Formats: sequence, C-alpha cells, structure tokens
Amino acid sequence: MRSKLAPIAAIAVATIGLTLAGCSAGGTTGSSGSVTTITFGNWRVEDQALWEENVIPAFEKAHPEIKVTYQPTGTNDYNAAIQSQVDSGTGPDVIMCRPFDVNRAWIDKGYFDDLKSLPGIDGFTPTALGAWTGANNDPYCVPIASVLAGFYYNKTIFTELGLKIPTTMAEFTAVLQAIKDNGKYTPLALGSADGWQLSYNVLDSIGPNYWKGEDGRLGLIDGTKKLTDPDFVAAFQAVSDLKSYMPDGYQSLKYEDQMQLFTLGKAAIMADGSWDVTAATATGLDIGVFAPPVVKAGDQRYLQEMPDQGVGLNAGSKNKDAANTFLSWLASSDFQSIYVDKVPGFFSMGSAPVTYTNALAQEFADLKTDALLTPRLQLDRLSAGTPPLDDDTWAVLQTVFNDGVSAADATAKLQADLDSWYKPAN
Amino acid sequence: MIRTGTRYRLLALFVLPALAVYVAFSVYPLISSVVLSFFDSGTQGSSTFVGFGNYVHLFTDKYSSERFFNALGNNVEFFLIHLFVEVPIGLLMAALLTSHSIRRSRGVYRTLLFIPATLSVVIVGFLWRLIINPLWGLVSFPLLGDSHTALPTISLMSVWEYVGIPMIFLYTALIAIPDDILEASRIDGAKAWATFWRIKFPLIAPQFGLIAILTYIWTFNGFDIVYALNGSAPGPNYSTDILGTLFYRTFFGSSGQVADLDLGATIASVIFFIILVTTAAYFVVLQRRIKTYEL
Repeated sequence: MRSKLAPIAAIAVATIGLTLAGCSAGGTTGSSGSVTTITFGNWRVEDQALWEENVIPAFEKAHPEIKVTYQPTGTNDYNAAIQSQVDSGTGPDVIMCRPFDVNRAWIDKGYFDDLKSLPGIDGFTPTALGAWTGANNDPYCVPIASVLAGFYYNKTIFTELGLKIPTTMAEFTAVLQAIKDNGKYTPLALGSADGWQLSYNVLDSIGPNYWKGEDGRLGLIDGTKKLTDPDFVAAFQAVSDLKSYMPDGYQSLKYEDQMQLFTLGKAAIMADGSWDVTAATATGLDIGVFAPPVVKAGDQRYLQEMPDQGVGLNAGSKNKDAANTFLSWLASSDFQSIYVDKVPGFFSMGSAPVTYTNALAQEFADLKTDALLTPRLQLDRLSAGTPPLDDDTWAVLQTVFNDGVSAADATAKLQADLDSWYKPAN
Repeated sequence: MIRTGTRYRLLALFVLPALAVYVAFSVYPLISSVVLSFFDSGTQGSSTFVGFGNYVHLFTDKYSSERFFNALGNNVEFFLIHLFVEVPIGLLMAALLTSHSIRRSRGVYRTLLFIPATLSVVIVGFLWRLIINPLWGLVSFPLLGDSHTALPTISLMSVWEYVGIPMIFLYTALIAIPDDILEASRIDGAKAWATFWRIKFPLIAPQFGLIAILTYIWTFNGFDIVYALNGSAPGPNYSTDILGTLFYRTFFGSSGQVADLDLGATIASVIFFIILVTTAAYFVVLQRRIKTYEL
C-alpha cells in the first residue's frame, strides 16, 4: 500500500515545491529594486526568437536597469486575451496595438496612456501615427512596422515570353493575356477561397489608383464619397476582370495554394502582401515585384502601406517609467534598423531612411518612391460597427468571384450595409 | 455493519472530489458564461446589467440575426446530413461485419473502418482539401468554392471521419444478440435478409435513438472541421458558417474586429439551450416509448 502511494506523494511534494520555488523566484525579481521587469504583450508568436535574441538584448544593453519579457498570444485569440487581461488588471505593461478601429475601441475603453509627450514620437508623420490616434487626434501607440502589397512576378517566365513590367492597367491586361495565350503558365496565381486576401491584396492594392488613395478613403469616412461612385465601381470591376486570368477552380483555391502554384514556377504573377517575401523566394526562383499599375499613363501612382504593428502603454501598468523608456527606444532608428531588417517584408514607418539586406524587401521598399501611400480602405472608422465594412468586403468580393455578382451590385450592397450604421462626423 | 449516518458521510466523502472538480471546471464556467450574457460591457471596463438585451439584439438586429439564423440553418443541414448519411452507412458496415459473409479478418476491417475517427480533424481536413483541390486533386469542380456544394462537402468529410462511431454502437448491439434466437429463426426457414430486418433490426432499434441524439449534440457543438478548412469567417459568403464558428468569431474577434465577449456568451448560451431543450425533450418524450425487448 505504502509503495503504491509513494510515487503520487513524490509528485505532489514536487509540485508543491516547484510552485513555492516559482513564487519565491517571482518575488525576488520584483523586490530587487535596481532591475525593473516589464512585459510586452503581442500577437507575433513567430517572431519570439528574433525579439529575444536580437531586439531585446540590444535594448537591455543600452538600458541595463530594465528587463523586457516577450509575451506573445496567437493572433486569433489576441484581442480577447488582451481585453480580458487588461479588464482584470493583469495586462502586460506595453501592448502591441491593432491598427485603426480595434485600437480606437481599446483607447475608448481606457486601455492606453496618451503618448504625445513621448520622446521620439515626433519622428513619425501624422499619416504613420494615424492608425493609432484617439478621438482627440493624440498618438497612443508607437508605430513599429507596416506592410505593403503588390504583384510578385517570375522573372524567368517574363524573360522567356519577352514580357515587360506593366505600368498601366491596359499593359497589365495585355501581359496577362499574352501569358494566357501562350498557355504554358497560369497568368495570375490567385484564389478566391480566402475573402481577406481578395480584399487586402487585390482590391486594396489596385483600387487606390482608381479612388486616388487618401482622397477616396477619407472621402468615404467624411461622407463626401460613396462606394457607388464611378471610381469605386471601376475598381471593383477591375478586380472582377482578373477572373479570366486565374487558375481553373480558383473558387476553392486558398492562399496557400496560390503560393504553391507560384513557387513551383507554374504561375507568372501573384498578388500578395510584402510579408511573403521569404516564402515567395523559398524555392530559389528569380522573383521580382512590381507596383499596382496606374489606370492611365501619366497618372499619379498610389501604393498601399498598411500600418501593422504599433506599441502602446497600458494605462494600468505599475512600471510606467521603464515602459516609457522602452517605447521611446522603439521610436528610435536604432530599433527600426534592427527590427525591419530582421523581419523581411515588414517596413519601418519612421521618417529616417532604413536599408534592407533582403533584396526583395528592398525592391518592395523602392516601390514607395514617387508613390502616395494609403492604408487599406475599409479599416479606419468604417469597420467600427456591424456589419464592419472589412468583413463585409471579404464576403461580397467572394460573391463577385464565386457567384458572378456584378461590380455595381457589390458596391451597392456594401454602401447599403455601411449606411445602415455609419454616420459621417460632419 | 456501518450505520446509515456514517454511510452517507462516507458516500459524500467519496463523491466530493469528483463533484468539486466537476463544479469548478464545468458547472462554474457554464453558469458564469450564462451570467456574462446578461451584461453589456461598455467603455472604461464598466459592465451593466441589460437583462435579455443581448438576446433581443441577437434575434432582432438586422445583421446579427441574419448571421445567427444563417448559422442555425446551416447547422441543421450539417446535422441532417450526418444523420441520414452516417447512420445508414454505419448500419451497413455493422451488418456486414456481423454477417457471415466476412469469415476472416473481421477484426482488421473493424479497425480499418474505425481508424478515421481517431485522426485529428486538421489532418482529415487537409487530406480532403488536397484530394478535391482543383489544381492537383481528383475533382476539377471547386466543391468548396460554390456556396451550394461547400457545406455538403464539408459535412461528408466529417461523415467519412466519424462513420466508425455509429458503426461501433450498432456492431456491439448486433453481437449482443444471443445466438439461439438467430438459430431459431434459421430453423424456421428465415433467410439472411429476413433475419436481419425481422429479428436483428428490432433488437438494435433503441440504439438509433441514442445515436441520433449523440449526433445532434456533436454537430451542434461542431466547430473544428469547418474552422480547419475555412477559418472563422467560413465562406463562400458564410455558406459554411455554423453556430460554433459564429460563436468563435464573435467571442474572440479577428484582426479587424473587436472581441464582443457579451454577445459571444449570448450565442454560447443559446447553443447550450438549443442542445439542452432538444436532449431533454428526447429523453422525456421519446426514450421512454422506444420498445425494448427482453432477451
């Protein structure tokens, strides 16, 4: 009898011992005084090693009195996790901010401290800070990374078929048609099984050239423009016209399928975001990127630059001084040059120029030259009610591709859904 | 001889650990989730009691109710496909396994047929997605991309995975039938077909009620296969959205959507209520009337 219980007792004792050890360890760090530990909550699980091996040591070297704990949560559970943690007072000291409406809701809930007096915050343009401002237009998060979108192309196929990089939509269609007529390759690697991808990497990529970037986007927000305006309908039509150049059965092809098709060298062009620069070159193909073509030759070019990650200060933090030091460092070019270079496909939002070792990332960054930048159309204010324009666009674009809904009907439905709850400020 | 008082005290002592664990990890979260559905958390972390406000919103708001009833309808379809495809196939397999047409390797077949039920849903979804992939699979028609075929396709994948479960239920019921009854029917001149439908089937009939209600509970709690294949906003155009994915999307939010814990809890409570009422009705009304034979 005794021998049977012995292992259980041993485990119980060990568990209690470990728990106590854990408590006492936690206690000493907090009370040692000279070193403050702050936690950094975020959704970038995949970047943990990068932060812990490159970024945080660089900070701790400059500020030995502060230790930073990287605390990631999977992106799908992130919003719910942060909301329940902050509401119950156990949130991390610094929190990674979702862009636009989610963050605006969080600012309204009182999650963040105002950062307008943070040293270094003036190194960002108002557009860069715009994704994380509150109702009073004050910045609440330090922008640390943005993503771009464009078209990846297979240089070998372009050389083989004697094609040139298209700069206007007419040339773009001609290139796609030439690849289709040749018959050897799929012109455009794109599937419509993932609604978000149609919205972010296609509509928000070629669309800004139709609705003139910020003109159209801010016009929707202040109510002077409607999605049923000719510019927007034309953008939806241009997206819909890509159907004839997509692979057979594109209706059920997912994001992963199009990447496979492209990296196996079976497709010439792929619509995708800059975050895939590593994946797109993984099989060693010679890949380049080109910007979404303009409508007519000589038009101003627009490019999607989507604010992706910002970092804010938890209003309930007990280590605000240390947290502010960290945030101020995140706003410096010291940090930016380490970070965006280590995560190819993400780009610095600061005004100071940064160079990228990854060639394709540099090519992407070069697309910003001469282009006016604009974030995704749907995410600022227009997604703060139900139905959110964001989710609605995913579903409606899918009906355009899969059920043959026309551009006019699609934009009419989106505008009607938006009108059901959104009232422009003026 | 233990006195009655001591016996009850001992009983309580033995039941207590399990009860404590059950209450802490099952009853308490359930109740707190239902409680959460009666509150509305506003700005600054405040939370106000709104009675049935969230429920009224869920059932009457133009957008929320559209999504909810769409998910409910899809869930009913998901359940019916399971019931009317999985159970007959399970019955056929169980009948073949216990018939004398398979003389050898019965254990091998039984194991093979049950193996899919032990696979992870993610693997099943991945395998089937490759098999029906229009680019490199067997079917060129985009089954998952058409809003009419997407849900039946996903349901059938799930049927393929779980068909072993009704099979095992019916199989165990079939082998429990005493040989002397079957022998008597054979002596009376009944062929295999007549023996199955007139002797075996009435004896295993009570199993169908149990299988139906279990399938009902599983499908209305369903989430994993749809999420694994189509994510939390299952398209095309929400045609594969079921209650589980609707709950997940509402409760956890997404990169562009604030997590709405209250409305999520409301949906969870409604799902719980739907399952509870139907299951209770089944046990009170039907289970008692099913005719069982003493063997």
